[in-house]
Amino acid sequence: MMSHSVAGALLYVRLATIRGWFASRLRRLKQPKYAIGAVIGVVYIYSFFIRNFVQDRGQRPWTPPPAEAMAFAPDIAAAALLVVIALNWILPRSRAGLTFSEAEISFLFPAPIKRSTLIHYRLLSTLLTLVLTALFMTLVSGGWAVSGASAWLRAAGWWVVLGTISLHFTATSFVVTRLLDRGVTSLARGAAGLAVLAVAIGVPLVWTLIALPAPTQQDLAGLPNVARYFETALNSGPLPWLLAIPKLLIAPMFAADARAFVLALGPALLVLAAHYAWVLFSAVSFEEASIARAEKRATKLAAFRAGNLRATALKKLRDPFKLRDTGRPELAFLWKNLVAMGRLFTPRSALIAAGIIVAACTWLAIADLRGGKAFVAVAATVSLPILLFFGPMFARQDLRSDLKNADILKTYPLDGATIVFGEMLAPIAVLSVMTWLALLAVALTGATTPTQLPVLVKVLGPLAIAVAVPFLCALQLVIHNGIALVFPAWVASVSNHGEHGLDVLGQRLLFFAGQIVLLALGLLPAALGAAITFFVVNSLAGPIAAAPLAWLVVLSVLGVEVWGGVRFLGERFARFDLSSELRP
Amino acid sequence: MIEVTGLSKVFGTFTAVRELSFAVKPGEVLGLVGPNGAGKTTTLRTIAGIIPPTTGHVSLAGHDLRAAPTDAKRALAFFTDEPRLFDYLTVRQHLNFVARLYAVPDHEAIARPLLEELEIADRLDSLPAELSRGMKQKLAIACGLLHSPRVLMFDEPLTGLDPLGIRRMKDSILKRARAGAAIILSSHLLHLLEEVCSHVLILKRGEKIADGTVAEIRARFGNGDANANLEDVFIRATGGSE
Repeated sequence: MMSHSVAGALLYVRLATIRGWFASRLRRLKQPKYAIGAVIGVVYIYSFFIRNFVQDRGQRPWTPPPAEAMAFAPDIAAAALLVVIALNWILPRSRAGLTFSEAEISFLFPAPIKRSTLIHYRLLSTLLTLVLTALFMTLVSGGWAVSGASAWLRAAGWWVVLGTISLHFTATSFVVTRLLDRGVTSLARGAAGLAVLAVAIGVPLVWTLIALPAPTQQDLAGLPNVARYFETALNSGPLPWLLAIPKLLIAPMFAADARAFVLALGPALLVLAAHYAWVLFSAVSFEEASIARAEKRATKLAAFRAGNLRATALKKLRDPFKLRDTGRPELAFLWKNLVAMGRLFTPRSALIAAGIIVAACTWLAIADLRGGKAFVAVAATVSLPILLFFGPMFARQDLRSDLKNADILKTYPLDGATIVFGEMLAPIAVLSVMTWLALLAVALTGATTPTQLPVLVKVLGPLAIAVAVPFLCALQLVIHNGIALVFPAWVASVSNHGEHGLDVLGQRLLFFAGQIVLLALGLLPAALGAAITFFVVNSLAGPIAAAPLAWLVVLSVLGVEVWGGVRFLGERFARFDLSSELRP
Repeated sequence: MIEVTGLSKVFGTFTAVRELSFAVKPGEVLGLVGPNGAGKTTTLRTIAGIIPPTTGHVSLAGHDLRAAPTDAKRALAFFTDEPRLFDYLTVRQHLNFVARLYAVPDHEAIARPLLEELEIADRLDSLPAELSRGMKQKLAIACGLLHSPRVLMFDEPLTGLDPLGIRRMKDSILKRARAGAAIILSSHLLHLLEEVCSHVLILKRGEKIADGTVAEIRARFGNGDANANLEDVFIRATGGSE
């Protein structure tokens, strides 16, 4: 075991880190953006999780779920655990590496500390961190709790399960490292793992299936009967033996009361302790892999903080189109951002996708496969609003991802509006093309489906929407980029994928709500203008003239809004200084 | 070529640069020196149009930065201490992108000798992540020089370069100055300034303490020693402390 001084130092590091983490979180609440975010985050968590939980406990007496479900749930959970463990053995895994931070590696690896002490430190740190995960899992699973035990006992049950899984994964990586050191490749290990599993699980499973009578109609009538049959299946043949240890492990989580919990906890802790010992006594070299892992993690974190989600997987990408030396500078930004988006987003790919859609829809129509046609129509129709209204949130290859390069962008001989519009072009193009492809599928499946709508409407409807798509995308991107430019400090913390906490959760919710409100305000003038135009022209010249005119009004209003938005953002960008904006 | 008049930059209650005026003529290399926090980088960023000045005027190649920012920036190349590159563009793609922004016709013919001079001609298809820090710096320089700027500004240009790279960088700066460019060079490496600069401007707490030719500055702060090195001069001029 570790000496007292070393243990004290390591404990100090761990506790000081946790204390520092909480202190920094509390300190930053002095900033309004975090304070407001924290309030919203707390309200959200309380409303959606804690209130129901408290009310369930305080007002409504706990009613146990049906006995079938109580018997059924632990068996399912144990079977799921077994599958997770089995997959862990089969899937490729790199060399053993315990997760240390770069600072821990710098200070602890060269320090006069035994390897076993380092392992103790890492494992205990992980088990400590899992307390928070267990509490979180208890909170979010409160609604479907199947036991009457208190939340704290269930959290303890979660902790035992999560801790053992974590230790099992570490032990697996140690075993893999031993095998790799003996020249066994990942492929060979996977094959061997499959073979072992085929024997260890497959054979008993087949045995069980042979031993178990096929389900009758009565077995499948209603959940209780299905549950009863499933329970019989899991208790037939050798399956109970295979599930014995997983069942021991999950038993505290499903304990009906405190007494049952205490009785179940002992065996579960023994399984956990056995795993701990397994890791501790698997003496393999983990240092190199730990260093590599820490470096990878640090690079990823730095990339996330810089707003670049792809930093760990950068590949050389082909030019989406030939960029000539002269011409509109906005196209240079479109070209640059399409390069960043990857190989899929080229004009050639769009043409290929369109060709596939046309061929598939034609084939479905010729073969008269109504089910297939309906499926394509529904899938394409559902994807339309998703692409239009959620696409701009995720297609961020614009100013949002380039704000970190604002200094260099501002030295270019371009006015702010040109830069802002150029930056927005790639997401506008990509989202428009994707929406057009979905519209193409809707139009092709709709055109060959007999409905009450005249063919003219079936063709002109999607065409009219297709014309409006770039305007709608542009309007939303003006909003998203506008928020990034007007509130860069907020966006920096919200977009940082390494950031967690109630305050950041609240900020994200607030941003989402703000975007929806701004979009609604942006669409309102277009909708009002179109409605008034349609009403007036319809009464004078009929709907044939009113509809296209109303549509033109929509496009004009959206166009003016986008133009005005880009000019405003251009002005803002010209005055923008990221370093002073982010100054606390 | 570079004219700065009454330039001030205030962040909230903090004045980073106060009433700064100077000029750099074609062929001159001005060394901007000062202790940490003196306002050197803020001055350069303001002159480059990255941040707007609170008061004052900047003119680059005869174009007022406020009235005609794009014309002024077309004549400018600004090299930051940390090379800012696009993670997902290769060396070739960076040059292609910049060429389009500055409308440089037949950019490949111009880029080839530049890349050879900077010794990165064989890394055309490399991403920034595959380049060493020095090579990234060289790529940033190649991008900046592609449009043959008449105004050049360097913020700590030697950071990350190897000895040969440093030698070449000094030669390159002098070559551009001889070709008629107006250059501002900010660095803590006083021996670099001594070798390269024709003029020196000393800043402290955002204010100009002194400016003039290297000989004039030496005469003023050299305590009568005509051969006093710039380090001694700098320490005396800035009061020996930050």
